Amino acid sequence: MKVYEESGCFDPHSITDCPDLIGLPGATNCPNSLEDSLNLSSYNHHHEDVSAAAAVDMEGHQHYLLDNTATTTTTTNNNNNNANSHLIPYLTQELSYDQSNWETFNMVPSSSSPEAAAAAVANGGYTPTPDLLSLFHLPRCSFLPNSSISFETTPGSPSVVYDPLFHLNLPPQPPVFRELLQSLPHGYTVPADDKDAAGVGGLYHDGDNGIIEFTRDISMAGRTKDRDKAGKTTKHFATEKERRVHLNDKFQALKTMVPSPTKIDRASIVEGAINYIKELLRTVRELKILVDKKRCGQDRSKRLKTEDAASAADAGDVGCKPLGDPDQCYNTSLRSSWLQRKSKDSEVDVRIIDDEVTIKLVQRKKINCLLFVSRLLDELQLDLHHVAGGNIGDYYSFLFNTKIYEGSSVYASAIANKLIDVVDRQYAAALPTSSNSL
Amino acid sequence: MDMEFLGSELNELSIRPSRGRPGRRRQGNNDDDDNFVSKNLHAERKRRKKLSDRLLTLRSLMNKATIIDDAITYIRELQKTSEDLSEELLEMEASSEDGGKQMEMGAADAADEMRECGIKEEVKVTNIDGNKLLIKIVMEKKRGCFTKLIEAMNFLGFELGETNVTTFKGAMLLSSCVLGKFVDALMVEQTEELLIEMIRSMKGSSECANDGSL
Repeated sequence: MKVYEESGCFDPHSITDCPDLIGLPGATNCPNSLEDSLNLSSYNHHHEDVSAAAAVDMEGHQHYLLDNTATTTTTTNNNNNNANSHLIPYLTQELSYDQSNWETFNMVPSSSSPEAAAAAVANGGYTPTPDLLSLFHLPRCSFLPNSSISFETTPGSPSVVYDPLFHLNLPPQPPVFRELLQSLPHGYTVPADDKDAAGVGGLYHDGDNGIIEFTRDISMAGRTKDRDKAGKTTKHFATEKERRVHLNDKFQALKTMVPSPTKIDRASIVEGAINYIKELLRTVRELKILVDKKRCGQDRSKRLKTEDAASAADAGDVGCKPLGDPDQCYNTSLRSSWLQRKSKDSEVDVRIIDDEVTIKLVQRKKINCLLFVSRLLDELQLDLHHVAGGNIGDYYSFLFNTKIYEGSSVYASAIANKLIDVVDRQYAAALPTSSNSL
Repeated sequence: MDMEFLGSELNELSIRPSRGRPGRRRQGNNDDDDNFVSKNLHAERKRRKKLSDRLLTLRSLMNKATIIDDAITYIRELQKTSEDLSEELLEMEASSEDGGKQMEMGAADAADEMRECGIKEEVKVTNIDGNKLLIKIVMEKKRGCFTKLIEAMNFLGFELGETNVTTFKGAMLLSSCVLGKFVDALMVEQTEELLIEMIRSMKGSSECANDGSL
């Protein structure tokens, strides 16, 4: 984390952290509106940079931000998330046209930096606007280490290039709010018109569907965007909803690929994916080692056969291996692997170090799983050395220490998958009338 | 990346063997070498840092959808790789006929080991508290013997409570607390006899064939 803080780089964990930090319901919790997450009374803005995300999108759109922001510097993502959790409620409250809060809101940037404060005072409120922009973009943004951009605030004209909400026929508002609304990502008005979690999450998460896209929308004055992605040439969305749905589909796809059942919320899906990828990497590494070992062994035995054939002619000793094996493969890499599999009623943990396999099994008590497990272990050519376990409350819990028989090449994921499979099947078959089986 | 860096650094710092007092004779030379070495190090470091910074920036620029897409692609790729590897492993397994001999030898050794250590076979069934039985078995360790024992327990209608198995010097110790249905003195005796019989039958073969029946 330290490195991360210093360089301000993107922290993949922040994806999962963000929703919690933000306090926005969209990501994990209650699907209802942002208003639920308002806790303005406890607001305290304790760090400088709020609109660091603006740094991400510097390319062509600075001037849009320039006019409305104050000095920004880059800080860590987490800090900004904390800021966001407080500022977004401010934002929504602003949209309820509460003038007094708006002024409170004005104080926000003032605590962030002196220049911002001065600007805020001077502009009478234009300065916070880019901060709001950043709010929507922060969760996935990173901050380029060397970019501390200071924006000039031009008092007076906001010089907004394009008013995306112009056509929405919003009720007349003070110009300040106009800017505020204009600064919203395209298509968003008052939150909480989306009832589903994804919706609100979309409000939040899709805001980052590019600072780039958003500002590009502004400049292109259109609702569709073309984007080049690996494997897809263009993606057109007529509505925000489509975009959200599309993103949701992707999350669902990811969820189906991961073997363990997870909760439906996005953070868990991503976490499950992370763990699964790590597990796959371990498995692949393990398999590579096994294949290498096998290949080494085969080569050696092939060589031995030819040598034996040669030496048999001399009535030599066929049985013993030549010690000075010239091409002996020094495969000293220690194979190690670890897997976990969970199902509704059972949990399996398989760890392999070299030739020792340790299996932990926890199953809700219904049938005596020991027998099936033991049979499977025999099948897999695992030599049982220790077994310990028994009945704990509602569960059976067992620990098996086994050794792999020489020459067999079972690997961790095979063991774990088969085990959980067997156990689940037996479980399901055992008591069809029990409510548990559903 | 760190390892490569370290490797290159070590290469650059490789000490040239010099007879006599190290470092004194070729003083001037060493200075120049050090300069080149350190310049090179700096350049290397800078280059690597530049690359890693840019990669990080690239990753940061990806938006959510792209990240998820890439994750999906990567997972598929990894799954395919692991499937291919496991298939390859299976093929190699099929083509080689190793292992059978070793297992047989192992079994013969087990019996010898036990005898050497003076471990005696034992079957003890004790009734503790109502329907609960404590079963203790010491026997020669064989492949599949544990399975057979558990099958016996099931056959007798026992529900296994706390079960422990330990192996040592070719012998296996099973200690299990089981819950029976209608336990009385006769039952205890019969259980003991059955188990003793089982162990005797297992003794003969080198491996306990697991046909699922008793």
